[in-house]
Amino acid sequence: MEAFLALLTVFTQPDLLLLVGVGTFAGIYIGAIPGLSVTMAVSILISFTFSWDVYPAISLMVGIYMGGVYGGSRTAILLNIPGAPSAIATALDGYPMAQRGEAGQAIGVTTVMSFFGGLIGILVLALAAPYVSVFALKFQPRDYMLLAVLGILLVGSLSSGSLVKGIFAGALGLAIGAVGRDPLTFTERLTFDLQLMEGGISFIAVMIGMFGVSEALLQLQNVNKTAVRQKITRIVPSFGVIRKYLPLSLQTSTIGVIIGALPGTGGDIAALMAYDHAKRVTKTPKVPFGKGAMEGLVAPETANNAAVGGAFIPMMTLGIPGDAVTAIMIGALFIHGLNPGPMLMVDQPDMFWFIVGALFMANIFMLIFGLTGIRIFTKIVEMPRAVIIPLILLLSIVGAYAVNNAISDVYWMLGFGVFGYFMRHYGYPLGPVILGVILSRLLDDNWRRAIISEREDLGRFFEGILTSPLSVTLFAAVILIFVSQTPLWTALKTRLFRKA
Amino acid sequence: MDPEFRGDQDHHDGTSDATPGGYPAERRPGELGFALFLTGASAILLYNAYAISGFDALSAPGSVPMATTAVMLIAALVVTWRTARLPRVTTETLARDILPVTVLVFVAFLVIFGLALKPLGFLPTAALFLIAAIRLLSGWGWPRTILTALFALAVIWIVFRVIFTVLLPSGVVPEAEIIQVFRTLLSGGGA
Repeated sequence: MEAFLALLTVFTQPDLLLLVGVGTFAGIYIGAIPGLSVTMAVSILISFTFSWDVYPAISLMVGIYMGGVYGGSRTAILLNIPGAPSAIATALDGYPMAQRGEAGQAIGVTTVMSFFGGLIGILVLALAAPYVSVFALKFQPRDYMLLAVLGILLVGSLSSGSLVKGIFAGALGLAIGAVGRDPLTFTERLTFDLQLMEGGISFIAVMIGMFGVSEALLQLQNVNKTAVRQKITRIVPSFGVIRKYLPLSLQTSTIGVIIGALPGTGGDIAALMAYDHAKRVTKTPKVPFGKGAMEGLVAPETANNAAVGGAFIPMMTLGIPGDAVTAIMIGALFIHGLNPGPMLMVDQPDMFWFIVGALFMANIFMLIFGLTGIRIFTKIVEMPRAVIIPLILLLSIVGAYAVNNAISDVYWMLGFGVFGYFMRHYGYPLGPVILGVILSRLLDDNWRRAIISEREDLGRFFEGILTSPLSVTLFAAVILIFVSQTPLWTALKTRLFRKA
Repeated sequence: MDPEFRGDQDHHDGTSDATPGGYPAERRPGELGFALFLTGASAILLYNAYAISGFDALSAPGSVPMATTAVMLIAALVVTWRTARLPRVTTETLARDILPVTVLVFVAFLVIFGLALKPLGFLPTAALFLIAAIRLLSGWGWPRTILTALFALAVIWIVFRVIFTVLLPSGVVPEAEIIQVFRTLLSGGGA
């Protein structure tokens, strides 16, 4: 009963409902404007809402997250520019549809399928998370440590780049998270004897730098990119069209939830995987993939929105972020004195059910706003980048400064922005850095607790891993992911295939 | 658009982790230098991590920093080794594709912004930054640039300073008095 009441909080309090609505509306436009990403928006927003109560702050962020994942599809279809990374796959078939004069139909199907995917993700979150959290209570410190390593490795390996660069990025994040005084012994760590670094590096400055400043600097090279506006016809899709693509959307929603729930992965990876899946299972599409196949639109859009619910599962139950946005949300919960993980579900289940309710409401708002207001939309997304980029940079500076009122945070943000800019250019993923920063404390604490409980004996530590089914599974997964990305595995696979 | 392609079509610049920048089989200008920088920085960090508590105990405060920086160094060495063996991208230059003048100018703008923020205050610094940045990027005339910049700044200031009550350095501007005027206006003319 209490859970049900918490679920209804957002529906019964007009101010929270309004914030979810405003967040979703803003999210759709943020997601749609190329150069503004949801991760960037949420990381900047956290610095402005940290003084708010937790419910309003979360309401706004949840709305922006849900709306932003969907919003990216609009510009992908209309302008062939994915507004958000999760809409990269949407552009492949969405834009050819728009060129054929079917932009309205593409937007309509995308909206309904995003709603459908989002709904499945939220349902799975509501049903699975309580069980996962009960299971998570059995986790030993070493399991948390292994899970943190697994998350960082997963995001490195599932990105399309090189694993070794992913590993570097994850380790860098862990090192950044370790800077400052050790909370257990008060020893200075990686501070170079600088007073400035004794308190550690503000993770908000790192996030805003990596996702806000680096993205804005990157967009400076696309300032003059122009796009042709498409004509929009009927938007609301017929029931027949929805029914036809329902089986595929169920499959790709499942892919979205699973990929979203894997620690460290997000909607962008889920969408690309769902697109690959659609190509494999659709033997004879009416229109070929890449030329405007409806299946190529349905698959990524259901998957990326389903991944939103999925990403909240490890965040709420284990305290391990499902993707970069949930990593930032964990930061927001920390700021509000909450500690995401299995104990949050035990001590404050109302928080979990409130988030489920807010996500559900954001999904409904997304459907409403998605099917209306198309004319205002086209005006807003055509706002010149020459104005947007300086505004992003200005907001980044305000955001980094606002948290601690410290100029040093502005410099950290700028430093990480420039560093992130080079990382993007040279193919180093940024997700593992943020994941590393967030997971640094969890990994450090749990490693030390685990090894102390084994009396500093590494042999006993590994014995503990091998005798626990959960630990051994996690350990095997870590080893498998690592080995699967090495030349050793490629050679083995080649040999096995040759024999076959 | 090639449906098999999973990257940014124009710049290979890493729009997201699902489509990272760079080229898998070629080396971009400055990529080897960046890899060498990462290797050097990792070695310095490892040395610093070792100095925390050496090999005192597995649960010592320096154990995790040492492990992570060691992983960084190994990974950076592997990346450097692989990068050095790749052929260079012949169609790109560092000055045009990686560090164009606009990017350098904007980094300089941001550094100056940071330096001027406290003494000058948020409003004048942000106004100067927006005017310079918009003018540089858009090439619009001064009146349009100044109007756009000031309008955008006014919106940002009202939203963040007045509504969200975010504290920003006031510097030479009597911000408290201006806010009071706004609050009076919002509360119905000081009633």
